[in-house]
Formats: sequence, structure tokens, C-alpha cells
Amino acid sequence: MALVLAAFLCVASGFALASLTVLRGSSFATDLLLRASMSVGYGLGIFSVVFLLCRIFSVTKLIAVDGAVFVLLLGLSVVFRVRRGPGVSIAPTGTREPTWLRRLLASSFCVALGVAAYSAVRRALAHPHGDGWDAFAIWNLHARFLFLGGSHWRDGFSALIPWSHPDYPLLLPGAIAHFWSYLGYDDPRVPAVIGLLFTFSTIGLLFSALAILRGHTPALLAALALSATPFFIEQGTSQYADIPLSFFVLTTIALLCLYDDRSVSSSAPRRLLVGAGLAVSLAAWTKNEGLLFLCAILAVRFLVLLRPRFLRRASAPQNETRLESWIAFGILLLAVAPGVLLIAWFKHSLAPPGDLFSDPATSLHRLLDPARYWAILKWYVKGFLRFGNWLLIPGTLAMLGFYLITRNPTCRKPAPGVRPSVVALSLTLAGYFAVYLITPYDIYWHLRFSLTRLFLQLWPSAIFLFFLTVPLSSNGPEA
Amino acid sequence: MQPALRTLNMWPASPNSTRKITIATLAFIVCCLLSTARILSYAPKSGQLPAEAVHLSSDQRFAALKLALPQQGIVGYIGDSVSPAEYYFTQYALAPLIVDHSISHPLVVGNFSASQPPAMPPDHLRKVKDFGNGVLLFANKDVQ
Repeated sequence: MALVLAAFLCVASGFALASLTVLRGSSFATDLLLRASMSVGYGLGIFSVVFLLCRIFSVTKLIAVDGAVFVLLLGLSVVFRVRRGPGVSIAPTGTREPTWLRRLLASSFCVALGVAAYSAVRRALAHPHGDGWDAFAIWNLHARFLFLGGSHWRDGFSALIPWSHPDYPLLLPGAIAHFWSYLGYDDPRVPAVIGLLFTFSTIGLLFSALAILRGHTPALLAALALSATPFFIEQGTSQYADIPLSFFVLTTIALLCLYDDRSVSSSAPRRLLVGAGLAVSLAAWTKNEGLLFLCAILAVRFLVLLRPRFLRRASAPQNETRLESWIAFGILLLAVAPGVLLIAWFKHSLAPPGDLFSDPATSLHRLLDPARYWAILKWYVKGFLRFGNWLLIPGTLAMLGFYLITRNPTCRKPAPGVRPSVVALSLTLAGYFAVYLITPYDIYWHLRFSLTRLFLQLWPSAIFLFFLTVPLSSNGPEA
Repeated sequence: MQPALRTLNMWPASPNSTRKITIATLAFIVCCLLSTARILSYAPKSGQLPAEAVHLSSDQRFAALKLALPQQGIVGYIGDSVSPAEYYFTQYALAPLIVDHSISHPLVVGNFSASQPPAMPPDHLRKVKDFGNGVLLFANKDVQ
């Protein structure tokens, strides 16, 4: 009963927040799926932050705080409710594909999703404590310290156990510990279920966001590609933080693309920027790599501010004035600010220094070593070609082939929002590259055990942007 | 044209482009379904022993010791395994106690192979209690 109540408060708070930050678009079902998918991540983010704040201020009545947060968000979502209006849906509904092909695609997606769900559940049952060291040695260990530590919960961030990476952010441990508090014991099924929820919410989010922006065929292709990525399903049940991070990266990119798309044609709802800002700060609250992504997003949005044509087609109307663009950027910064402040407090007051920047002099020396650049570049190329553990044909190559067959030389301009998002992801990848350059660990060991997971963090967003760009569209909207 | 549609990549439909899209979609579906087959083949089979049984056994191994230790604070650690995994499992099982991989603490947790527990306590250590299965609690005579 306690678990049901906790789950309700978590998802309902997330749903209310998602309803506040996204607009009504497309069909009721797609709209509902988008908000339901987002509600998982937002809800767990809220649970994590609430738990930490309760620990900091020694508040023991968690249920009262959760109830108050839910009522507040519900009230706000009612007050700022968005009404569905005419012309909101922008996705083309008429497609040029034959009907039999669309049916085959839908059936294939159902098969892939069913197999993914079956495999994920079986893996979660077979690995109740996660699949790999990081699950218990980092994330679940931190959750145990937060939950079992009582007034000594800060002990989990001791420098005596540096291998547990006490500088890692607390979205997952906080959310897990919050659920354990309702249960009264550290049930290993909680992190397992959270992992499953993030995995399938990412698929739902990918499908619904693309369905709104491009229609059902690209959305089905994208969701099929993600569901059919073996490494995504494996990691989804590993109880690592890479899939949750990929969820927040995708949420950020999807909401910004929705905003940019609408800002070209009309006054875009700025609540989308609030949603994107919250998502990117939750990404940074999930893993340190999320901080890198946050910096990349803010840098690119600032670039968009300085060079608006970077965002838009040259021929497209620019409805947003200079002042409005600055206001939009300010809203994004305001939405990011609470999360950044929390992370700054955590890094400054709670967590010991991380291991990557422990020796600046040696790091500088490593930066000047060309052999390291070459080694990382080779691993990047190898990772791109082998990524995802697909059977016979890697997903990256399958998508490349898809693009080469369907490309249209007369259609060169990407949709708005794609270019800044691609640059943000590229900057994030470049940041990963820089971290490998200065890593104090053996570079090959570090690449071997982390590079594919770093690629995985960006994989759902890469699929999203690919199917947003690839010229697979309609004859036009149905009348 | 609806304004937002200008932002999408569309070009006039032709039999050629429709054929291209059909071919590309079919090929992509085949690639995805092949990979789906791999996901299915990798799914753990019924009756397969949970790989993480070691976690459960660690929690059980250290359950009695945990009751004998203070609820918070720092304890030392000594073990006979070369791999750090045993130490990590110990820390996981004993959290929220901090388990420092050192004997410079008044209480030191011993984690040894169940079949070969040490006959004599290591230097500076005095055996407080043997909890079985290679789990021992020592006191460091030199640290108060």
C-alpha cells in the first residue's frame, strides 16, 4: 500500500509538472503518451530532490511534503492549463508510404517492443541487484547511505571510499531512497523497476515527440530502432545511470525542437523552455556527463541568440524579435537555475573532489600527447561502427543506409532546432573526448569500460534528430 | 501551406521517391528485427540462476556481523581476496557504516574465504568473534 501511494505521488507530481511544461498538440493519445513518458523522469527527479532537501533540513514527514508538492503542482497545472486550439497539431498526417508498409512497420514495432519488454523483465529478474559493479558499488550504495544513514547520511560521501565516486550526483540514489523510506526497507526491486520505467519511457518519449513533429511513420521507425538496440535494453536493466541520463537528454532536445519549430511560424509557448530547462538540470543531477550536456545546451542557445539564422532557414519568417529571443534565453536560464544551484551546493558542500581533475599539471601534459588523440579517435570510429550490439548490421550503419537511399538533394535545410541540437550533442561528444584526454586512469581501460555507455547516453537523441531530419515525409496535411 | 510545414523536409511525391522510401523502410525493418532476435536470444532463460546471487549471499553473510557493529561510523577491513569485489560487497552489505580498506581502526572486519579462514589473527589484531563463513571481527590492539 505504501509503495502504491509513493508511486502515485511520484508519477502524479511528474504528470502535473509535464502538463505545465508541454503544450497540447497532435492527437489526444500522442499528447497523453508524451506527458506520461515525461512524468516518469520528472516525478523521479522531484522525488530525488525532495528526499535530499528533507535530509538536509531533517524533515521526517516525507508523505506530507510529497502531498504538498503534488497539490502545488496540480494547482499550478490547473491554473496554467493549456487549451487545445485549432492549428496546434503540426505533424503531417498523410503519408506517401503504401498502407501495407505502414502496417508492416507498426507490426514490427509491436514485435520489437514486446521482445524488448520480455527481455528487460527477464533480465531484471535474473539480476535483481543490477548487472555490473556500478549498480551496487555506486548508485545503490549511495541510496543505502541516504536511506539507512539517518542523521549520518552524509557518511556516504566520505573520501575514504573514493571508488564509490561520492562526487556523482544523486538523482537515482535520492529517488530510490525516497521509495525505500515509504517501504521501510531497502527492497532491491525498487531500483530495478526504476530502470525499467526509464527505459520504456524513453521509447515512449521518442515516439510521441516525433509523432507530434513529423507524424507516425518517422516516429514508428525511430521507436523501432531504439527498441531493437540490444545494448539499450541491456543497460536499461543494469541499474546504471546512463539510460536515465539519455532520457533527460532526449527530453531536453525534444522540447527545444518543439519550441524552435513553433517559434518559426508563430509565438511559441515559453513553457516548453521551462520544461527543457528542468530536463537539462535533471540531466546534470543524474550524472556528471549531464553537466557537460547542460553547458553545451546553454552555449548553443546563446549562439542562437547571437546568430538567429543558425537556427532557422534563411527563407523562414522570424517572428521572434530580438527582445523576445533574449527573454526566451532568460526563461531557459531561470528554469535551469534551481538545479544548478542544488548541484553547486552538492559539489561544494557535500561531495569530495572528483578524480578526473586531481592533478592539473599531469592533465596538461596529457593534453599535449598526440598518441592519446589518435587512440581516442580510433575508439570513437570503432564505437560508431559497432555501437549498440546489433546483429549483423550496426544501427548506425543501417541509419546511414536509410539516409543514403531516401535523401533528396533538393531538400537540404534541416528542420528548426535540429542544427543547434546536433551542435549541442557534438559539443558533448567533444567534451567526452577531452575527458578521455586528461583521464588519470589507463586510457584504454577507461575507453573500454565507458565509451559505449557514453554513446548510449546520446543515442535516443541521435535517433530523434535523425528521423526529424531524414526526408521521409508526407504530401501534406490531410484536409 | 500551413506555416510549420515549411520547416519539414518534404518534396513532391513521385513513384521513384515512394519506391525509395519503401525499399529503405523494408531494409531498415529487417535490420531492426534481426537485432530484436538477438535481444530475444540474450534474454535469461527460465530457471537460470540469478547472476547477482552473490549480492544476496553477501548481505546474508554479513547480517550477523552488522548487528554486532555500531550503526554508524568507520570500521577497518582486511581480506584475502586479490579482487576488490569482495571489499565492495562488504561495504555494500554493511552500509551505512563506512568500511575503510585499512586496519587502522579500533574495529576491523575480516572477510576471508569460507574454506580457509585464518588460523591466527593478523598482526596487531585480536579476534573478537568468528561469525562463520569466513566473516570475522577483529579489534586493533594499537588503536583505541
